[in-house]
Amino acid sequence: MSANYMVKVKNYLSSMPSLPTTVTKVLEICNNPRTSPIDLDKVISLDPVLMGKVLKLINSAYYSMQNQVTSLVRAIIMLGVNTVKNLALSTAILDKMVDKNGFRALNMEGFWRHSLCVGVVSKLIARKRMVDSTRLDEYFAAGLLHDIGKIPLNNILSEEYLQAMGLADRERIPLYMAEKRVLNLDHAETGAMIAEVWKLDKPLSDAISLHHACDSYNGSNKELVFTVAVADYYANRERIGFSGSVHPDKVPPEMFDFLGIEKAWLEEIDDLVNKEIEKASIFLKLKTGA
Amino acid sequence: MFSVTIWGDRGSMPVPGPDTVVFGGNTACLEVRCGERIIIIDAGSGIRGLGDYLVRTELKKGPIHADIFLTHTHWDHIMGFPMFTPIYIPGTSLEIHGPVNFEDETLEQIIGAQLSYRYWPVRQDELAAKIKYETLRETMLDLGDGIKLRTKYLNHPVLCLGYRIEYEGKSFVTIFDHEPYVNLFPTNPTHPDYDAAIALEGDTAAREENAKIENFYSDANVLIHDTQYSAKEYRAGKSGWGHSSYEYAINAANRSRVKKLLLFHHDPNRTDTELQELELFYQAKLARLTAMEIHMAREGLKVII
Repeated sequence: MSANYMVKVKNYLSSMPSLPTTVTKVLEICNNPRTSPIDLDKVISLDPVLMGKVLKLINSAYYSMQNQVTSLVRAIIMLGVNTVKNLALSTAILDKMVDKNGFRALNMEGFWRHSLCVGVVSKLIARKRMVDSTRLDEYFAAGLLHDIGKIPLNNILSEEYLQAMGLADRERIPLYMAEKRVLNLDHAETGAMIAEVWKLDKPLSDAISLHHACDSYNGSNKELVFTVAVADYYANRERIGFSGSVHPDKVPPEMFDFLGIEKAWLEEIDDLVNKEIEKASIFLKLKTGA
Repeated sequence: MFSVTIWGDRGSMPVPGPDTVVFGGNTACLEVRCGERIIIIDAGSGIRGLGDYLVRTELKKGPIHADIFLTHTHWDHIMGFPMFTPIYIPGTSLEIHGPVNFEDETLEQIIGAQLSYRYWPVRQDELAAKIKYETLRETMLDLGDGIKLRTKYLNHPVLCLGYRIEYEGKSFVTIFDHEPYVNLFPTNPTHPDYDAAIALEGDTAAREENAKIENFYSDANVLIHDTQYSAKEYRAGKSGWGHSSYEYAINAANRSRVKKLLLFHHDPNRTDTELQELELFYQAKLARLTAMEIHMAREGLKVII
């Protein structure tokens, strides 16, 4: 039976649209502090859907411009390379995260808020730890994408996924363990498959596939993976959004020690996190047309 | 009465010393009066003097109420806030308005971060004044008492607003910090990334956006414009820093039928002697060509609008 599940997931992944190429490219240019206006224009223009969304965002209530901006060239001249880069990154990634039709067992809004919260908190932790500012977007992206593996499970194996969520709840175990028992496959594994299909780089792929395996992680992206795990713990504990996991693993004190942050510090960031999430919710509105 | 008083006109960093006695060394702060209403534009180091002045002159009439409009949150435009005495006086109420960049902290966090123990002995929560923060975008506002305010995004490395205040049929406009829009795309056909359509579109966009800014301050009675550099300095490596040249500001203001232009946001290295010479030079040059009045902004200068 479990072999069937794997086949279904693989079929689903092979039919995924080509948009992720743009996501990879956008990530690439966003991590390069020397991106030129022409590079940015080229990458965004590659994908008419992304371009439309970036322009829609620029013309949204967020900026409330008095005049419509209808060309990307003009947007870059008016807002600068850095701003448009950030808009494109958020739009490209969130676009993949918010597909109403893909949500059967987990509720889209709850899942989206959870992912966004982990992204926002990962970035806040990175900032607190004085991580190089050019890497902050990578932390945000890693947090945002960490549970991406739940999307195919949720979409094509929704009944089994509901069973896994029920099992996790009844036996008070983390969801990834319940997934493994019901499906013989967990969201970290499907996440790793997506990372491969999307050709995501090693840090992001590690954050997605290993955020529940911190105790045995010995790779070169320990800081990023641990940060995402702590942010995930925070989002679950504070019940911001819903990841499907009501009894997640506790974060051992050694992980806080490794990152050099106090557990108590997490208590202080509630307001900031909520405000950041509200701010980012404009993307959700764009996507769902709310 | 509709007036503006300059409490700080320096760009980037306060520069006290023998070379800045005449024009002043404090960073941006303007006091605008519309009748009894107090509107403060920017909270650079100049706001310290304004705060003390308000305590001396206004407090006897009752608690201080003021609107503070920040053009942007770069440090030279907010650094004076912790030394603005009215924030420590019970009864003071302030509304602080300003733009914040996408993905940055809120206005309150940005301003309030200065009032944390690592930077300052008093925390934001401990202030006696009642302070309300309002994020501002491109908009039109009715401030009551016949005061209308319009805002316009400017070209600076962070989200930045120009303000146009209209009162009793007169208009006052601030354009700082601002650099004219330029086409950021390659326009030389030999450039490897040259694309004729993009080059043309970039030229059109830059020209049109500059025209919108000029339109925003057209026919202003008083315009205060960023002029941190000379055209020569601007060309020699200051392009993209978000500031204008004397030459650009003067020509653009004149084209837009501005009646009085104040040159503002002086470079920290500009001495009194240099500013005096430049002021005389431009006044003499323009006297034959236009009726537009032109002055260097100087601390303590009060202009009736």
